[in-house]
Amino acid sequence: MAKKIILTLALFLCVASTAMAQKTIIFAVDATWPPMEFMDSDKQIVGYSIDYMTAAAKAAGFTPVFKNVAWDGIFAGLATGKYDAICSSVSITEKRQETMDFSTPYFKVRQALIVPADSNAKSFEDLKGQKVGAQIGTTGYFAIKAADGVEAKSYDEVGLAMEDLNVGRISAVVCDDPVAANYAMDKYKGSLKIASTIETGEVEFYGIAVKKGNKEVLDLVSKGIEDVAKTPYVQELQQKWIGQ
Amino acid sequence: MREKKVVIDVGDGAAIPDPEDIGLFTAWRISFFGTLAIMAFLVITKPDPYLAILKYLPDGIVITFKVTCASIALALVLGLIAGLGRISKNRFFNLAASTYIEVVRGIPLLVQLFYIYFALGHLVRVPDLVAAIIAMGFCYGAYMGEVFRAGINSIDDGQTEASLSLGFNRSQTMRYVILPQAWRTILPPVGNEFIALLKDTSLVSILAVSDILRRGREFASESFLYFETYTMIALVYLLITLVLSKLLSNMENRLSHYERR
Repeated sequence: MAKKIILTLALFLCVASTAMAQKTIIFAVDATWPPMEFMDSDKQIVGYSIDYMTAAAKAAGFTPVFKNVAWDGIFAGLATGKYDAICSSVSITEKRQETMDFSTPYFKVRQALIVPADSNAKSFEDLKGQKVGAQIGTTGYFAIKAADGVEAKSYDEVGLAMEDLNVGRISAVVCDDPVAANYAMDKYKGSLKIASTIETGEVEFYGIAVKKGNKEVLDLVSKGIEDVAKTPYVQELQQKWIGQ
Repeated sequence: MREKKVVIDVGDGAAIPDPEDIGLFTAWRISFFGTLAIMAFLVITKPDPYLAILKYLPDGIVITFKVTCASIALALVLGLIAGLGRISKNRFFNLAASTYIEVVRGIPLLVQLFYIYFALGHLVRVPDLVAAIIAMGFCYGAYMGEVFRAGINSIDDGQTEASLSLGFNRSQTMRYVILPQAWRTILPPVGNEFIALLKDTSLVSILAVSDILRRGREFASESFLYFETYTMIALVYLLITLVLSKLLSNMENRLSHYERR
């Protein structure tokens, strides 16, 4: 019996020490944003960002853990320390930088306007007095709110907005262009199309959000991203997930 | 020295104050004025963000009221039909009403809302607000059906017998004898359902209907002030339901006053 306990302890120590050697960073992910991060048919969180972060973790030497979290409240959870970072296509904005820190950017993004295939609308100008949807708390939603004469409608998930657009309850949806491409070319092929990319003033970048002042995690993640960005792996990912 | 009767209501419905109870502190007064005081304190001492949040909510409050009133009207109609069906001698009518009640009560409200909302979307083009109202009314109609059935059953069988022996037929008996008496029994639980429905309308915010909760969440997602926003949302809901429960308990008091005569 004593032998057994000692063996178990030894084994436990071995496992613990290997785990101790590498810092574990828990990333919150709202896995409803294909192709950047979403659930595949095996209920695994997959996507461009996930592959990118996994490679970055290898390069910088930490263990990534991805945790599926709903978008609404994802920043509140970061502030209360439920997880270390957010890897969920978070656009770096000045307003967000006031309440959290961002890693080195890892993806360049624009806002796309999605409309039904038979619509002629090209911009907010053409949609005056109509309802336009986006996911709550996203840069796409803020862009609609800032536009004149358009009624902004917020959704919990971008997929719900697309469904409402598909059945005609709203006239358009605004979201990040890789996501727009995925819905317009794949899920709703033939019924929805990308009308244009919207000029929101400046080009947006995705970054990893961490709690303000958490320098240790921030430095590790940024280092990983910088290392991966130098390799041809980025083009591979682009081919694999976005195909452009 | 008259002794005071203290009524402690532990149900989740409207507290019914005793007419002879003239104490200064009632649970309702503590809740209501406490809520008002907290709200005023927050808005005056920290207008940024609390006043800003409050200013953001009014159109959401209007939508919440719209959904509540329209849904309750629909639920009352469906409930009356379902309630009469449940006690009907007509086998088909009875089965249909019972099945409707069984099915609706067996599925979580949120799941039904989603289902009806998207199912309607594929069948007909209705605005989101109408879809939400239909879904809420449809679900609450089943709960109302049970309320109506219980109310009608609470009237003594002797009334029906007397009415029939006077030459009224079944439907006349229901219209002129049973329902006028039953509605007194029905009113308080209907009032409770009304308040429950008002609170449950917060679920329609999931369907992107811009009610109080959705408006608040939009504010929070821009400002990141989750705690402050939800504090204000809770207070606003509480204030509305407290006013409603007061109105309901006043109505109930008047009814019981009639019955005492």
